[in-house]
Amino acid sequence: MGLQAIWNLGEVLDVIRNTILTAARRALLATVATAFAATAALAAEKVAVITPYLAQPGTQFYVDAFKARAAELGWDVNVIDTAGDVAAVISRMEDVVNQGVDAIVINVDPAQVGAGLQAAADAKVPVFGMDAGTDPLIVANVTSNGYAMAAETSVYVANRIGGKGNVVMFTFDPFPPVQVRGVIAKAVFGNFPDIKVIDNVTPDVSDGGIADSRAKMEAILAANPEPGSISAVWAAWDQPALGALQAIEAAGRQNEGIVITGIDANPQARDAIATGGNFEASVAQDFAGIGRTTADTVAYVLGGGTLKQNVVYVPTKLITAANATDK
Amino acid sequence: MAQLRGAVQVVPPPSSAPRQFAMPDLILSDIVKSYGAATALDGASLHLRGGEVHALMGENGAGKSTLIRILAGLERPDAGRIEIFGRPLGPGGAQAAGLRFLHQELQVVAGLSVAENMHLARPYPRRLGFVDWGALNRAAATALTRLGLERIAPATPMGALGPGDQMLVRIAATLIADGGAAPWAYVMDEPTAALTGAEAERLFAVIDSLRAGGAGILYVSHRMDEVMRLADRVTVLRDGRSVSSRAIGQTDQARIIHDMTGREIATLYPDRAMPGGTTRLALESVVAGPLSGVSLEVAAGEVVGLAGLAGTGRGALLGAVMGAVPRQGSVRVDGQLLRADTAAAWAAGLAWIPRERRAEGIMPGLALRETVALPHLARMTRAGLVSRAAERATVARLAGDVRLKAQGPDQPCAELSGGNQQKVLFARALAGDLKVLVLDEPTRGVDVAARFDIYALVRGLSAQGVAVLMSSSDLPELIGLSHRIAVLGRGRVAEVLPAEGLDEAGLLARCYAAMEG
Amino acid sequence: MGQVMRRYGTAAGMAAIVVFFAVALPDTFLTLRNWLNISQQISMLAVVAVTMTVVMVMGDFDLSVGSMASLAGVVAAVAFTHGWPVWAGVGAALAVGLLGGLFNGLLVSVVGILPFVATLATLTMYSGFAFLMSGGKTIFGRDIPAAFSGFARGGITLGATDGRPLVLPWLTLLALGVTAAIWLVLEQTAFGRRLYGIGGNAVAARLAGVKVMRLRLLAFGFTGVGAATAGLMYAARVASANPTQGSGLMLTAIAAVFLGMTMSAFGQPRVLATLAGVVVLGVMDNGLTQLHVDSYVRDVVVGAIIVLAVSISAFGRRATGG
Repeated sequence: MGLQAIWNLGEVLDVIRNTILTAARRALLATVATAFAATAALAAEKVAVITPYLAQPGTQFYVDAFKARAAELGWDVNVIDTAGDVAAVISRMEDVVNQGVDAIVINVDPAQVGAGLQAAADAKVPVFGMDAGTDPLIVANVTSNGYAMAAETSVYVANRIGGKGNVVMFTFDPFPPVQVRGVIAKAVFGNFPDIKVIDNVTPDVSDGGIADSRAKMEAILAANPEPGSISAVWAAWDQPALGALQAIEAAGRQNEGIVITGIDANPQARDAIATGGNFEASVAQDFAGIGRTTADTVAYVLGGGTLKQNVVYVPTKLITAANATDK
Repeated sequence: MAQLRGAVQVVPPPSSAPRQFAMPDLILSDIVKSYGAATALDGASLHLRGGEVHALMGENGAGKSTLIRILAGLERPDAGRIEIFGRPLGPGGAQAAGLRFLHQELQVVAGLSVAENMHLARPYPRRLGFVDWGALNRAAATALTRLGLERIAPATPMGALGPGDQMLVRIAATLIADGGAAPWAYVMDEPTAALTGAEAERLFAVIDSLRAGGAGILYVSHRMDEVMRLADRVTVLRDGRSVSSRAIGQTDQARIIHDMTGREIATLYPDRAMPGGTTRLALESVVAGPLSGVSLEVAAGEVVGLAGLAGTGRGALLGAVMGAVPRQGSVRVDGQLLRADTAAAWAAGLAWIPRERRAEGIMPGLALRETVALPHLARMTRAGLVSRAAERATVARLAGDVRLKAQGPDQPCAELSGGNQQKVLFARALAGDLKVLVLDEPTRGVDVAARFDIYALVRGLSAQGVAVLMSSSDLPELIGLSHRIAVLGRGRVAEVLPAEGLDEAGLLARCYAAMEG
Repeated sequence: MGQVMRRYGTAAGMAAIVVFFAVALPDTFLTLRNWLNISQQISMLAVVAVTMTVVMVMGDFDLSVGSMASLAGVVAAVAFTHGWPVWAGVGAALAVGLLGGLFNGLLVSVVGILPFVATLATLTMYSGFAFLMSGGKTIFGRDIPAAFSGFARGGITLGATDGRPLVLPWLTLLALGVTAAIWLVLEQTAFGRRLYGIGGNAVAARLAGVKVMRLRLLAFGFTGVGAATAGLMYAARVASANPTQGSGLMLTAIAAVFLGMTMSAFGQPRVLATLAGVVVLGVMDNGLTQLHVDSYVRDVVVGAIIVLAVSISAFGRRATGG
């Protein structure tokens, strides 16, 4: 197929377009385009939010908060869910670039949508990440600070056990966001000369992580039968913490004062913390805050501002029995 | 109306009178029906009385099917009247007015019992909300007994019955009260098409008893012998018009054929050519299906007919020759041993006209040129691509030979009449380098004129040196076409008879004798 | 009337959809850039649907194409992580597609399992293999060579408008190539003609000397290779591979073939009609996104259009008594 033929196709499309526009526009525009004309008249900023994961609870918090803030700013927001299809995220990014949006917000790993980022960059449409990941073509990624979350819980553990005792760690290095948590906790414990990490477990997560963590913890309890031989369990996320809790309760050793912490503060973890048992603390990400801050970041950039850093951190909150039931 | 109802004026039926007091009759007058530019019916009339078998005949395309569809309420006529008992056919259609339709394609649920099949379109008898199986089987048994079919147990699975008994069960089902009008008339469309001779005999007995009970039967058939034997009256349709309606005593076979075709057909079976002599098809110790070792030779230009009672393996033998059913033993064409698969058979110059045209022959969506070309595609490709020009040329060359009536080579087969579909299959058989033609019931469901064309074609091929092996349950046809007839029985060829001088009764006697061994 | 509606109803509906978007989106829809976009977006679906047409011609279908697409992406990605060159990874993935397709064909034609059951089982199997090979994870980043993912971003530069390059994507060209090849095979070769014969009446086709068993087996091979090709295209486009990413392709591909089938006289699947079905689905996604229609409403609308097209076709068929 020659290039000439393709140019001709372009010309043909133009002719078709003009014909249709002159003949049919008047007739149909009144009925079809009124609604769009109304929004266009405000000349509002058009922002598209594209995610494959809208069905997941965390994503809904981000998106709802983003929409609420965007409404205050008077934006025209288009939320697009591709139902798990990552290639469709690229397609929809191309579509909204073509449609001429002012900004795009994604929450998918930027490495997987490079083609879409390139299309946006070519058209000079800024792309923002909402807990997405960093990439040279992303203006800024708004997320929680994984380093800080791990520091919160590991310091909580160190303080609770008075800076000495044996600690069991549950970590997971294959997944980068979780891996950094383990690094930080290890550094914190290493700073207390009397704290000894007696075991560092990588649980099998294929069934969610609770069951295998429980099995691993039961083995560790069996190996350390003396009361007080284990002072604390630090888990890089909530599921191993819940598994360890089950193991300790099943072994009847819940009154030895073993301190357990997790990260993420999922509902099951909050329930466990609220009962006042061994599972004492976790860290909650501020999903709504991420959504709101993303909107503010977009507004700042669209208003002509420039960001120095390409990651914007939203503060997290330590959850203990005192605030586990708060909303 | 009045002249037809004169006999029953003694009981003038008021509009609310029960139907059974009126003389049952059905009148269709001057029915017109067109589909776009094509006129299917152009003034068709018919009068069916109670207590008679009324044959409806006509070539394919004469309008029989359309007339029956209109009667069944599946189509609306453009003009004309339909009256039952002197009243226009109501919105409930013919079913509500006491007509029952039996089509050639049996619609049965093989996995359900006879009794359940008989109740398919009716509410099952219930007790306490559950199906009352006892009552269901009793109702079925009563209906079967009324037709003398006590031998069929209501609990038998429908699939265990042959097509003939399935047909009889369907007739019996109409006798079960269903809250509507009691059936008084039956429309049977080619009821014997799928039946063996013995099964057909049982059907005829049932038809006789229905007639004796006062029912009217509209009987659509291509089989002249059946019509001559069963019918009291024959109405002939041609080009959508009813051209004659005569009592059976006032007409004969030649006259009916003349009415149907508008032309004289002097002899149904053209003269036999003398066979060439050299052996083209040789079967040796063929074992397949019920056959335990069949040896048979067909010479160039010879037509060999296969006769035998149902179950003697006529179909299996033809299938074995074509490689369509597993076989042992050898099959040779012009001395060359043939592999047992259909592709090898076609490649060696065999061609098959299957028995079940719709199930085994026609691919409805394919154009007729595609159907004709299918077994011969290897010869119609140029540089790996199928040549449509070669396909069209083939169809053009053969359409005249088989007297095919179609709009053109690109017409889909589904749009052709049954006879023309059969001719497409003949064209397909001729399209290659034909050496041996295998025919399984070649004129089933084909009208008289097309039948004559097919006979002439078979004769012509035989004159050109093609060996023909055919099976037919139409004994006059078998005798009329064949040079020799091989009678099958007990798994082998019992004897081979010269067809010349053989008559139907004599052949049938040899078929029974072959079972005795 | 019914005949006309049956043949051209779908085509008219498709044209109406294009006109609707052209009027509602006067500045962006009927542009060469947008159509190049659409062509790239539908390229993977087109390859799956067009090769799916090969088995649907015979009246069969293949439910395993989605998991085969995922598996092919994972096979290539795992090969890349082991340092295989791009051609070897791609070749391995296509070989897996061929073998998987032939295995489907074996189950359906030689063993004689219903296509629905056989390919439902292999759907699960191939998906399991994809999870096993990938360990359930997404493979991305440095493991995916730039030469592989670059293919999905590149193309022939046609020029530039508004300071942006106008590119005819390689993915589009690949989909066009596959479509042309399958069209040639189905419409112009004896092989394709025999498949249509099997679809029309498998018993009759066998009696007419068609080697039904062998052809069915081979036809599934086409579909397997097509699914693997689409899986590789997908993996290149997202520069990653995970064991579920192709799963959305299967139902959409079957929908596209069905949509296309409403355009042929006897409801036969035809390659170009399938392509038209794919284009309509792609245009709907593109246009409705630009019109701000909610993604869930979009699904409802697309489903409704399929129902409408098939209903009109069924109505037309009844009206002609065919």
